[in-house]
Amino acid sequence: MSAVCILTPVVIMAWPAFSAAVVAAASSLGYQIASEVSSQRPGEAVHKDAKAVQLEIERSEVVTNQLGRDQRIAVSREGVTVTFSRDARGKASLCVTGNGQSDEALRAAGEELSQAVVQQYVYQKLMGEMRSRGFNVVEEEVNEDRSIRLKVRHWEN
Amino acid sequence: MPQREFEITIGKTGEVELHVKGFKGKGCLAAVKIFEEIVGEMKSQQQTSEFYEPEEQVQYRIDQRH
Repeated sequence: MSAVCILTPVVIMAWPAFSAAVVAAASSLGYQIASEVSSQRPGEAVHKDAKAVQLEIERSEVVTNQLGRDQRIAVSREGVTVTFSRDARGKASLCVTGNGQSDEALRAAGEELSQAVVQQYVYQKLMGEMRSRGFNVVEEEVNEDRSIRLKVRHWEN
Repeated sequence: MPQREFEITIGKTGEVELHVKGFKGKGCLAAVKIFEEIVGEMKSQQQTSEFYEPEEQVQYRIDQRH
């Protein structure tokens, strides 16, 4: 072994890749896709009395064209709806809403899901880039703590 | 052609821990750089003992023909 390093992800992606990461992360945590729309505002579909918590994904940028600017994707689980969108600065943001839930519970649900989205983004990007660079994934497993472990080999010239 | 091995753990927050194996010397830094470009920012890096071993060398012999 020659080096061990920790890398912090920077999330830069187009809307299709972002929504794919949301779908994969949401499914892994038991969420159902509520809608993928271009007109609905965050939290619009839920009851007026519902609480809402707004979060954003740090170090993120969702690249989109003029047509994709207002796109949103909403997922729900047990009365909690999380709507992902691109904010005015281009960052990935999410609005978590739910009836009868505390702000802390909504925030925790949003953070758990947004972290899973970042993990899925990193996984998909790594797999795609490694494949194109001739790396072979020889082992892959999901650990109990939901971390993903990959063993990769590469022959160098 | 040497084989390089990488052990990658993507944590549940998306943070990546990368173990680079099979390199001697600073060759591993180039490999780390690839993953840095793919993932994002380097948070920490620690070299192990093999890092300080001499780099692998490839020797070419060129015979001159008369």
